[in-house]
Amino acid sequence: MSEDTTLRMEGILKEFPGVVANDHVDLSVERGEIHGLLGENGAGKSTLMKILYGLYSQDDGDIYLDGERLDLGSPQDAIDAGIGMVHQHFMLIPRLTVAENVVLGEREPATAFRSDAADSWLPAAIRNNSLVQSLAGQFSLGLDVPEQRIQDLADQYGFDIDVSAKIWELDVGQQQRVEILKALYRDVDLLILDEPTAVLTPTEAERLFDSLERLTDEGLSIIFITHKLTEVDAIVDRVTVLREGQNVGTAEVSSVSRADLAEMMVGREVLFEIDREAVDLGEPVLRARGVEATDNRNIEALSGIDLTVRQGEIVGIAGVSGNGQKELAEVMAGIRDVTAGELVVNGEDITGAKPKTFVDSGVSFVPEDRLQYGCAEDLSVMHNATMKDFRDSRFGDRPFLDYGELREYAETLVEEFDVRGVSDVTETKAGDLSGGNLQKLILAREIYRDPDLLIANQPTRGVDVGAIEFIRETLLEQRKAGTGIILLSEDLDEIFDLSDRILVVYEGEFVYETTPAEADRERIGLEMTGGGDDEGQMETSPPPSGVTQGSES
Amino acid sequence: MNVAVTVDAREDSPAWLAYGTPVFTVLAALAVSAIALVVLDVNPVAAYRTMFVETLVTEFGISETLTKAIPLILTGLAVYLPLKAGLFNIGAEGQLVAGALAGTWIGLNVSLPGLALVPLMFVAAAVAGGIWAGIPAYLRAKWDVNEIITSLLLTFVALEIQSYLLRGPMQGGAGNFPQSDRFSEAATIPELFGGVHAGLLAAVCMVIATYVLMTKTRLGFEITFVGSNDEAAQQAGMSKFYVYLLVFVVGGAFAAMGGISEIAGAQGRYRAGFEPGYGFTAIPIALLGRNSAFKVMLAGLFFAVLFVGGSSMEVAFGVPAALVEIIQALVILFLITAEFFKSYRVGIDLKRGPAETPAQPQRGDD
Repeated sequence: MSEDTTLRMEGILKEFPGVVANDHVDLSVERGEIHGLLGENGAGKSTLMKILYGLYSQDDGDIYLDGERLDLGSPQDAIDAGIGMVHQHFMLIPRLTVAENVVLGEREPATAFRSDAADSWLPAAIRNNSLVQSLAGQFSLGLDVPEQRIQDLADQYGFDIDVSAKIWELDVGQQQRVEILKALYRDVDLLILDEPTAVLTPTEAERLFDSLERLTDEGLSIIFITHKLTEVDAIVDRVTVLREGQNVGTAEVSSVSRADLAEMMVGREVLFEIDREAVDLGEPVLRARGVEATDNRNIEALSGIDLTVRQGEIVGIAGVSGNGQKELAEVMAGIRDVTAGELVVNGEDITGAKPKTFVDSGVSFVPEDRLQYGCAEDLSVMHNATMKDFRDSRFGDRPFLDYGELREYAETLVEEFDVRGVSDVTETKAGDLSGGNLQKLILAREIYRDPDLLIANQPTRGVDVGAIEFIRETLLEQRKAGTGIILLSEDLDEIFDLSDRILVVYEGEFVYETTPAEADRERIGLEMTGGGDDEGQMETSPPPSGVTQGSES
Repeated sequence: MNVAVTVDAREDSPAWLAYGTPVFTVLAALAVSAIALVVLDVNPVAAYRTMFVETLVTEFGISETLTKAIPLILTGLAVYLPLKAGLFNIGAEGQLVAGALAGTWIGLNVSLPGLALVPLMFVAAAVAGGIWAGIPAYLRAKWDVNEIITSLLLTFVALEIQSYLLRGPMQGGAGNFPQSDRFSEAATIPELFGGVHAGLLAAVCMVIATYVLMTKTRLGFEITFVGSNDEAAQQAGMSKFYVYLLVFVVGGAFAAMGGISEIAGAQGRYRAGFEPGYGFTAIPIALLGRNSAFKVMLAGLFFAVLFVGGSSMEVAFGVPAALVEIIQALVILFLITAEFFKSYRVGIDLKRGPAETPAQPQRGDD
């Protein structure tokens, strides 16, 4: 086994002020395997990989590649050593071609400065001067691109990409393959993929998995960062689990169950099934009648929605993405205008009122896009935690604002909702939090004000197992406290587990209503896709049996 | 032996760098300017001595600097406040002119005792400047018209109006110069101390008011939030419309106060072309001081030193005015470049052996 080991990281220690991101982590990757790196958001996966890619330097510990000790001062060092990384957010220039993007990072100097250029107008003595070369390498750029070489490389790995196409012409899956191509062009032996499926549709993800298998057949090793257990099952050979900066174990995927992995990740047993106590329904908190609205392109997105939500009721709204869920959530939260119909919150007609009226009437909103509507990335956790409640009189008399109180309030939220990675609420920026922790912070803000109506749009999308559990439990607790909740989710399991009532939305209308007890998944799947289609159109699959069994105690 | 230039991102900037860079870069800019001075056969050390030391130790230098700083600080605030809400007010110059014209008209046509007239002139100026700034703000808030373009273009409109008024209805004094009548005693801003007029008091008050607004009030919280993410701010019930309008109108009022205090405090009458681009100099002032209203004040004072010191050097050494402007521009350029060195480390590697590919600059990802 050990002669097959290509990468060894030993005792990697990395501390940030107030946080130990990596606490003496060991990791070894074998040649030709896909090695999963699994962990909750903020467990230290990204930090470890940034150290491996030369973006951070470790405080202690060593990295060996093929037995040779590496001293990585920059990503260039890592690339030279044969390590490539594909980031979650692509680093491509849309207006340039695929080939140009691939060559870009190489910084070939402009033709005139190349020492082997035959027709340069610069005298060779100047061209060959090392300082000139270094400056030219840094500040000039040769764009005469070896397109053929890149096309061959793409074909070799079965990437269906035209290298002379511009990046903006490609879809997300193709763009990701360009990122991989960038690494391959630099002759890497080890490729790091940071949550590569986060931006992909399921079909695109399948294609990515095919490509990855092809790469490992060619002898490449891949580190695959993820927090999705299904992906680990689908593609990974061995997996290393990180928790709170420590390595809690490496395992062959075939020999462990999902429940085991989830427990390793979170540090305790994860309840995939939640107890839902019966709650008496109270007065209606929301009554919407005949609501119509348009989307951002001014095309009708909601065509006559009737919806009543009572105190202590969770109404789950199921549907295939793009059938008006986003607009529905925004209309109910008061940030999208209705074109017809009325909205009554707590008995008061607030149709067409400003967002502030909705907030003041006790409406809370957990938006789908955390960074767009949910928070201001560049502002502190304190600003974000108090973004709705800062008007409250407990924070000082108008017009003044007591920042000491704001700070205390934010600290309370961070503590009670277990938001990790915050060293100082006034210093840590919301954008520095990992996805799951940011979502917890947003949820904390929306729930701690004890709303009458909560609209949660995809509350657990892109967050890790531990946070998902926490968020779902919080929603149920809030239901017990008498809040009426609208839950929009593309995860049917989530809808089934949490809702009192299920509505299916299709093309801006509710087409089907049921309750979890009497619901028929197949019927729901059919309704979600327009009813008339054949079976097998469902977007989600039933939960794996092993997982639900593991949570019975 | 090979030489390689490397540029690396800093993980965090050390504290000494944050405070050291401004000083160091100003020195570097002066060193580069020294070459031009030497070429003109001027001793750079003596010239700089005149430019900075004399300006800062002589009574005349200090009073000139403080007087010059008043419009610079006020227009600096006029850019700073919208900047906090994520808007660029490039038209502080126009707001300054609009305010100065309105204030001058009141000063020339209303007779009241000084204690009432001067405040009235400030109010009139502030209203005019606020309206002038309110136009781009309304267009931006309501229809998303780019405020950079509208505020800038309105500056030229204001300058043309000034030109018309001073050659027409408001023209006064002996001869046919484009200027107004002299202000009466009552309409002149009284002296505060040593040749500095009371406009300084207004400037300092506005700095304090802006500081309090941004750090102690709910409105400041909203401005900060809208400036950082206006969509999230609206979702939280804040009004982008109101915030945009407010920061611009208040900013315009600040610039206008700068205009009237320069006219009624330092000039004594409205001369066409009295202002050497205060409203444009305000942009680097606001950028340098973008972290706090007090830093805007410091930046304003610094630019006042450059202006006053520059003209003393011009007079004392016969240096062309253009060169003084070059020095000022170099200082600004170096200060802005310095921001780069706060976040990147540049090194030169001397190595034996084959040339290495130099490291490419890398930003921290995600």
